[in-house]
Amino acid sequence: MAEAHVMAVGVETRSVTGIPTGKLGVWWFLASEIVLFGGLIGVYIMSRLGGAGWSEMAAHLSVPIGTLNTFVLLTSSLTMVLAFAAAEKGNPKGVRTWLLLTVLLGLAFLIIKGFEWSSEIGAGFTPTAGAFWSFYYTMTGLHALHVLGGVVVNFILFLAALLGLLRGSEHRVELAGLYWHFVDIVWIFLFPLLYLSW
Amino acid sequence: MARERVHPNYVAVWLWLVGLLIASVVISYLPISRGVAVFLIFVAAFVKAVLVALNYMHLRFERPLIYAMAVIPLAIFFVLWIVLYPDIALR
Repeated sequence: MAEAHVMAVGVETRSVTGIPTGKLGVWWFLASEIVLFGGLIGVYIMSRLGGAGWSEMAAHLSVPIGTLNTFVLLTSSLTMVLAFAAAEKGNPKGVRTWLLLTVLLGLAFLIIKGFEWSSEIGAGFTPTAGAFWSFYYTMTGLHALHVLGGVVVNFILFLAALLGLLRGSEHRVELAGLYWHFVDIVWIFLFPLLYLSW
Repeated sequence: MARERVHPNYVAVWLWLVGLLIASVVISYLPISRGVAVFLIFVAAFVKAVLVALNYMHLRFERPLIYAMAVIPLAIFFVLWIVLYPDIALR
């Protein structure tokens, strides 16, 4: 078994890879997530290329709302990475502020998405209204669950920072950030795939 | 040994991301051929994803093993897509 040693900042590092164990674990998790979302997106693209009438269905989605939500998520990635930068600089107030903003932006994304879903369902575009809508609710629903998970993790980190429990474990902000940015990247592709006419 | 990490200009990266988002939306409304519009929109999406991965996920400072962990699943996805594509395209 590979030896492990503890660096000055308290991050356990595998001596064979030289990569902190936590980071290695998060990247393994993200690798499985790439396959999960990649498979879903791949099947969606193939189905859309192989069938007619998908563009007409997609045209019912609100591009301004989708654009706003994309802006919210991109901005949350900025606040998340600024929390990490503050952690590296030993700035606990900065960590708390940026983490709280990330949580609020994540919640804003979910609220906007919920509003969007309710208006679409109200207009009769339910998950059973056609293949496009089945894919739409599956992909955005799975993504929203990931956003919710990220919000919970970031809120726990915020509470830990607030109570001073993050001292010596600041690298956790980076690990949570890796996941959060991945969720952002997934949305970067979902937005044009679902909302922008093609 | 890992390369020393410097913090990129995160706000500048965000401005690029927002700029590319606006460009994508504008392109989708332009009176150009659908094929060109789709190509440009997905090029913009790809550039945005790379910007986030390199700068916010700090991939540009990571070791080859981390790159492998990101690229191998993507390769699996593309192989899956290419293998299954004829089933749809030739239907």
